[in-house]
Amino acid sequence: MSQRSAGPDPKLLEILVCPLTKEPLRFDAERQELISEKAGLAYPIRDGIPIMLVDEARPLDPDSQPMIG
Amino acid sequence: MSDAMNIFDRRLLRKRRDRAAANLPAHDFLFREVADRLADRLLDVTRKFPMALDLGCHGGEIGQILEGRGGIETLVQCDLSEAMLRRAAGNGRGPVVAADEEFLPFADGSFDLVISNLSLHWVNDLPGTLAQIRRILKPDGLFLASFLGGDTLIELRRAFMDAELAEEGGAGQRVAPFADTRDAGALLQRAGLALPVVDSETITVTYADPMKLMADLRGMGETNAAAGQRKAFTRRSTLLRMMANYQQAEAGPDGRLPATFQIITMTGWAPHESQQKPLMPGSARARLSDALGSREETIRPKKDD
Repeated sequence: MSQRSAGPDPKLLEILVCPLTKEPLRFDAERQELISEKAGLAYPIRDGIPIMLVDEARPLDPDSQPMIG
Repeated sequence: MSDAMNIFDRRLLRKRRDRAAANLPAHDFLFREVADRLADRLLDVTRKFPMALDLGCHGGEIGQILEGRGGIETLVQCDLSEAMLRRAAGNGRGPVVAADEEFLPFADGSFDLVISNLSLHWVNDLPGTLAQIRRILKPDGLFLASFLGGDTLIELRRAFMDAELAEEGGAGQRVAPFADTRDAGALLQRAGLALPVVDSETITVTYADPMKLMADLRGMGETNAAAGQRKAFTRRSTLLRMMANYQQAEAGPDGRLPATFQIITMTGWAPHESQQKPLMPGSARARLSDALGSREETIRPKKDD
């Protein structure tokens, strides 16, 4: 469990992509977010668990709504 | 994609699972039983699966059985529900990730195995999900999944329908719709998975009364999450009538009530050149007529052809 609070599993980070665009993600260690530039979304990492759900993601540009479906 | 197009309300399913997670061990017998059966099937395959994904892992039932077996080095567990994941993470050692089966967040060719225990029956776009599963499998990777089929809870379905007709003059859908075996086979093929196999088995559980069954369904997060349900709650009179119907129609000699769960299991492989496939036409090395001991004749074309 101590490993988990330190951040997401590196092996997992290697294979995660944006669920909408399937593009690679940028890991923001400071904010504990996985950024999908193309979708304009930041997926949160909570207690080391990446939450790859569009519903839970933060829009990067608050003025534009992300394309969902 | 409008919500009107969807059969299942995935947000509602997520909420159901979140709520069920805390007390899951009191109700998860079906998850554990089917996880056991899936694990048996997997361990029959003489092959190693270093990188594996449990798709819709609930409380981590698959992980608990397969940890360190089947040549699995890393088992990634994913679920729609964060609360379920925290439970799964506490049970296993591998990484966990919140993911929606309809929008998989994994790169192409990530896994040697994708295994799924009683989760895919809540997917709206099963062909789309299967295509994504094929994509995230490495060539010659295995997909092995159990999900609930169309005969599931047939007794409850009947009892509810009769009760609603009698009490409310119309029947809505109380029990979620499920796919059947034939659909599943066609879908595997459509997704481009090779050597597809689909089979079905039935697990019958008996209950003292229907409310216990409903409590188990709720406890697994498996109550109907169909979109556009007729009503948010059930009238007391309808519920009582349903219970009476169930008792009258289904009670066994010992007074207990059966509840049927149809488990459909599908297997498919990501295509690879080493897999068996039909031979090219004309590549036969022996004559069929020799094998049959019959005489070979040329079929004369008809005159008007």
